[in-house]
Amino acid sequence: MSAVIEIEGLRKTFRSLRSGRRVAVDGFDLLVEAGQVHGFLGPNGSGKTTTLRALLGLVSADSGRMTVLGEPSPELLPRVAGQVGAIVESPQFFGNFTGYRTLRLLARAGGVPVSRVDEVLDLVGLHDRGDERVKGYSLGMKQRLAVASALLKDPRLLILDEPANGLDPAGIREMRDLMRSLAANGVTVLVSSHILGEIQLICDHVTIISRGRRVATGRVDEVLAGHDRHEFLVRVAEPERAVELLHAAELTAAVDGGALVVSGVSDPTAISRVLGEQGLWVGELTPLRPDLESVFLELTGAYEHPSVPRQVGDSSLPQGEAVIDLDRGVDA
Amino acid sequence: MNLVRAELERLSARRFVQLMLVLLVLAFAVTAATTLAGSHKPSVSELNSARAQAAEARRDLEATHQECLARQDGTLQSDTDRYFPSDCSDIDPIRQDRLPIAADFLPGVFSFAEQAEPLLYFLIAFLVLFGFLVGASYIGADLNSGGVVNLLLWRPRRLTVLATKLGTLLGTVLVLALLASLAYLGTFWVIGQTAGLPGRLDGDFWSSLGAVHGRGLVLVLLASALGFAIATLGRHTSAALGAFAAYAVVWELGARLVLEIVDARKSDLFMLSSHTGAWLNGGARFYDEQLCRGDNYGSYCEGFYTLPWLPALLVLLGLTGGLTAAAFAVFRRRDLI
Repeated sequence: MSAVIEIEGLRKTFRSLRSGRRVAVDGFDLLVEAGQVHGFLGPNGSGKTTTLRALLGLVSADSGRMTVLGEPSPELLPRVAGQVGAIVESPQFFGNFTGYRTLRLLARAGGVPVSRVDEVLDLVGLHDRGDERVKGYSLGMKQRLAVASALLKDPRLLILDEPANGLDPAGIREMRDLMRSLAANGVTVLVSSHILGEIQLICDHVTIISRGRRVATGRVDEVLAGHDRHEFLVRVAEPERAVELLHAAELTAAVDGGALVVSGVSDPTAISRVLGEQGLWVGELTPLRPDLESVFLELTGAYEHPSVPRQVGDSSLPQGEAVIDLDRGVDA
Repeated sequence: MNLVRAELERLSARRFVQLMLVLLVLAFAVTAATTLAGSHKPSVSELNSARAQAAEARRDLEATHQECLARQDGTLQSDTDRYFPSDCSDIDPIRQDRLPIAADFLPGVFSFAEQAEPLLYFLIAFLVLFGFLVGASYIGADLNSGGVVNLLLWRPRRLTVLATKLGTLLGTVLVLALLASLAYLGTFWVIGQTAGLPGRLDGDFWSSLGAVHGRGLVLVLLASALGFAIATLGRHTSAALGAFAAYAVVWELGARLVLEIVDARKSDLFMLSSHTGAWLNGGARFYDEQLCRGDNYGSYCEGFYTLPWLPALLVLLGLTGGLTAAAFAVFRRRDLI
């Protein structure tokens, strides 16, 4: 598959008199291939938006190489800008303009046929509200309008920064369906979001950034499998006795609430065999698969001390700063 | 062209622009209404009386000048305490800027020929303020709200986008200024024709008025570009307003005081207000008592010096051009976050 977005060694440092020097992105790499719906995750202040801004030529990188649709960015970005739809954070629109007029203005500026405006308003569910002023829109409606503005160009690549911001559950679901249908039509999507469940549902690939560095990348299922501790939830009549039996069989087990958590087991039949042989019949045996949220929190260290308020930018890199790249192996 | 159309639509949709236009129309309407209410068409007898008074005033001037010359020649001895200047050419009627005319003796009668220039100065002052504020808010609000970022996602050519914005601003301000001047002067011309006096509207009058108008339009464009450039550099509309207020207080008031205390020579040349006035009036004359100290001791010294319009224009162009170039240079590399 051809690369639609390539970022290698991106580095960006912000300097200010008041807060001094702050490294926002520190040698970050990203590869998005054609046809992917690629999730881009990271805690607040980890460098997601800076990366997207650098890619789109809105901030100047200190070093690194970036290409968009095969063209070096930002130098030759104008060549492909007509094929890239993007929203970065929550775009602001003129409050006095209607949604329709807002999009018509952008269509004109970008040389897009004005007839496309109705199509995208329909796509994002604003068809009946297009004649209303933007200042009367809810946050979710403004977000829909932003997505509509990104879709105006009928893009080959869609970059969405937090597209679900402010959307209600139904809106989130519609956004999910929209992205799926775009992907089915061959549009490559790079989406950053904090709603990890959504990313897991929508995206086939994911990249996780922490403190400006990539800490994981690859197919979503492979990233999750890489963090599978092979744990099982077991319900039996005598949990304490069950733990002793499992320990005797050199398995790791602990009582958690009224159940057992057995870890480091590749074959779950070993659990039922050990317990069954001693007359303890297993009532429930459920594999505990990691979800994207637990992997994200583990990789970014964003939930290490639940009792201590976490500050923006307080995330971590894995031990030894290893980067888990399931497409390429582990880079130490 | 598409970008220009889009920018034109954005500019015209700005509430601030609309508010300033309403204020312009309001100020215009109030001035016109009060002028109309306070003026009447003079009767024949009023006109004859005014003409007679003007002729008498001119004769008085001539007589005073002749008397001055006669006293200087020693051909006339007078025991009156009347004051005469040492140089009688100062009161020579031929050398006066203007001589008394009938309109000077027609109270409550609007004379277009007499009032057009001051009215034009008022309009230019308003348009300069309009251009500066609209120029600053147009880019300042867009930078602050993310509108520019939005646009750059569509047209990732920073200099083109900024130049289009500046060009659209200057073009719009110029067209507005032309239309406003036309409507403004046209209305007062009609008032002069119908409820006052048109006055002497000869070629000299129109060329003089045209020159002031042309210089005023240049000033309006410079003010617009200046507001735009400072707001671009400072990322906010308030940057331009703050820079203007700071300059006025710190330099025009504070530094002027300091320069006077340290007896600096020709301190007016350091002030932008002097250059603005010199450009608008086709030159300016300033008094500086320092010029008559030291070197000129014992010789005659007037203490006046002149600032011609060309160097004044060059200073204004240099300042505006420099700040605009700086704004483009900074915007080209700036992180838009």
